[in-house]
Amino acid sequence: MDNESTLSTIYSEDVSLMVVILDINPLFWTSVNSNTNSLTFTKFMDQFLPLLNSVLLLNQLNEIVLIAHGINSCGYIYNSSMENRRGGKRGPAFFAEVSEKLKEFMEADCLHRKGAKSTSTIVPSLLSGSLSLALCYIQRVFRSRPIYPRPRILCLQGSPDGPEQYVAVMNAIFSAQRSSVLIDSCVLGLNSAFLQQASHITGGVYIKPQQLDGLFQCLSMVFATDVQSRSFLQLPKPAGVDFRASCFCHKTTISMGYICSVCLSIFCKRHKKCSTCGSDFNRPNSNSKSSPVQKSKRKLDDR
Amino acid sequence: MPQVKIVARNFMDMVAALPAMKLDKLYDSTFICEAVLRSLPPLAKKYVLQMLYLEIPVTAKSMGEWVLPDGMSKHKVAISRLLQLRIFIDVVDRKKETSYRLDTKFQSNIRKCLIHGGVPPRESMPSNITVRLPTLDDLECYAHEQWECFLLQLISSGQAERSTSFNSYMLKTFQRGLLSSRENEAPRLTENGFQFLLMDTNAQLWYIIREYISTSEDRGIDPTDLISFLLELSFHNLGEAYNINTLTEIQQNAINDLAGLGLVKRQQGRKEMWFIPTILATNLSISFSDSVSHKQGFVVVETNFKLYAYSTSKLQCEILRLFARIEYQLPNLIVCLINKESLYYAFENGISAAQIISFLHDNAHPRIVQKIPRVPENVTDQIRLWENDRNRVEMTHSHLYEDFPSRDVFEAACDYARELGGLLWRDSKKMFFIVNGDAHQDMRDFLRRQK
Repeated sequence: MDNESTLSTIYSEDVSLMVVILDINPLFWTSVNSNTNSLTFTKFMDQFLPLLNSVLLLNQLNEIVLIAHGINSCGYIYNSSMENRRGGKRGPAFFAEVSEKLKEFMEADCLHRKGAKSTSTIVPSLLSGSLSLALCYIQRVFRSRPIYPRPRILCLQGSPDGPEQYVAVMNAIFSAQRSSVLIDSCVLGLNSAFLQQASHITGGVYIKPQQLDGLFQCLSMVFATDVQSRSFLQLPKPAGVDFRASCFCHKTTISMGYICSVCLSIFCKRHKKCSTCGSDFNRPNSNSKSSPVQKSKRKLDDR
Repeated sequence: MPQVKIVARNFMDMVAALPAMKLDKLYDSTFICEAVLRSLPPLAKKYVLQMLYLEIPVTAKSMGEWVLPDGMSKHKVAISRLLQLRIFIDVVDRKKETSYRLDTKFQSNIRKCLIHGGVPPRESMPSNITVRLPTLDDLECYAHEQWECFLLQLISSGQAERSTSFNSYMLKTFQRGLLSSRENEAPRLTENGFQFLLMDTNAQLWYIIREYISTSEDRGIDPTDLISFLLELSFHNLGEAYNINTLTEIQQNAINDLAGLGLVKRQQGRKEMWFIPTILATNLSISFSDSVSHKQGFVVVETNFKLYAYSTSKLQCEILRLFARIEYQLPNLIVCLINKESLYYAFENGISAAQIISFLHDNAHPRIVQKIPRVPENVTDQIRLWENDRNRVEMTHSHLYEDFPSRDVFEAACDYARELGGLLWRDSKKMFFIVNGDAHQDMRDFLRRQK
């Protein structure tokens, strides 16, 4: 083809490993049903599974890993590289398998949450857990194979952000950035500050599709693109990124707060002592008192 | 130096060169659509996916807006490839604007693929009939052994221990481009032949397959049938048994030939006969785009130009002999020395330094794969330097003009030659100059007009 194979290529050109993170928060999907929003979970799956199929179709070496997360747990659902050894199954059998596994996972997830009390608002799902799971999987691929495909992560998120996961999610985002893994996100519910930041920092694409009927077209236009081709194509640009952080003490999202000058922990109220690193803010003679800092957007980003 | 290159990766060019009617017939099969799609450049794949559910043609202008300015050249390559393979059909509307739409058959087949997925072309046989199928590792060994045996037979018919199923006529056709056979002389490898040996297995395989298909018409077989069967074969499941009776006669004959290459393994049961696709066959549809061979390497190169090859294969030994001097051979080890003489021998045979280096690099022993660089730098540099040594003098075909009647004529002719861009050298005292061979014809016309 047009690109000659050079001497040392770690990645074979347009081969990609796509880790898809799917939010199956039952509270979100039932609320969708009752809102008379057109996209029910079944309809969503109809649009979503062909995307997986099309990525597998484009290159025989492409791999897909599907990770689902609910409210309390996250887990692997499907891994195409396991199937490929003895001829991967695709098509109806593939759809059936994925749906079956998802069902099992949902049931297991519900069992986990017995302790939680039923609420009318949507409880956030465990994004941080599945992001970490995805990154762990990618690291394992990096280390165990001499030659590996180019990895990227696609998050399909419905439920809102859970501010209490802030630190974990940010850490996952930064480690993705370090290992140059793109995080694409497609938000089906409300805008998500976490995913906006994730895509912004790692160089992925963040979209919130306007028309959910034609979701497949949108998914295949944007997210089926391999990392190499992205440098040649016009892809949707983000309208703006919500850089707000959550405080470490009460896990609420804040736009102004206090930052520990030693470890950069964020607090919504003034404290005597940093709860993360133990620095004393109230030393009588010291000049370096921690003072309210107007957090600029950049500062958090550069951390 | 003449640039001879065996282009082995462009199997799809052969498909593209088929007449439109035959190409359209090929797209009847879902597998072929899938294989063709996979062979496309990344951007072209993307466009197909994007257009898959669009019912109306998209104008070329709006497609141009999909790409950034940097990607324009890639965009053009992608579009022309799509047109060449007749996946895109161009439509010119009343305003004389070009727009593209997908070939309807291709479109519906790919849609089918997306929704129903790739169903294997035929049912595999139940395991109670086919007892004792080979394991995947055994099968891979078998495939590589068979392939090596074939190659060895190809380059030196005497050396192979057992002969493959190819008859000598077929073998001759394969050898045509690779060996020069003058009368009363032992056949020698040609430049192409040397380069062929240094290519990776997939590339070699495609070269042979291409030859096999392009000569099929002489045997009275439609190349289209063979192409579609080969592509179909690559979608069978690795290591499963398929009944031979499900094939047409042409396909059965082809299977026999392919078994000789190691693409399939044939087994005879009590009643039935079946074939098992090997890794070579299932990789067929990958190998259009550059793929990575997963073969384990065996070569260690040291900074003192010694080369240790842990291999028992005769073929590998023959290949190493192309550019290195073999010092001694142990049962599982070949020790060679790379020196100026051995490399000059290689260069004379048309092997380039880059090919040798990439061969050493690609076949590095697992122990040194982690090292950067895999081949010591002083060795690669020296190989390149020795190659450059040979290219110190560049030969150009040219003509000498002398004996001009007067200085005016000489000057005019000189100026004209300079205008043509063909003046290589001049001596105004003795009044002669040398003109590039390309400009000779024009020059002669010019001088004739002067008279």
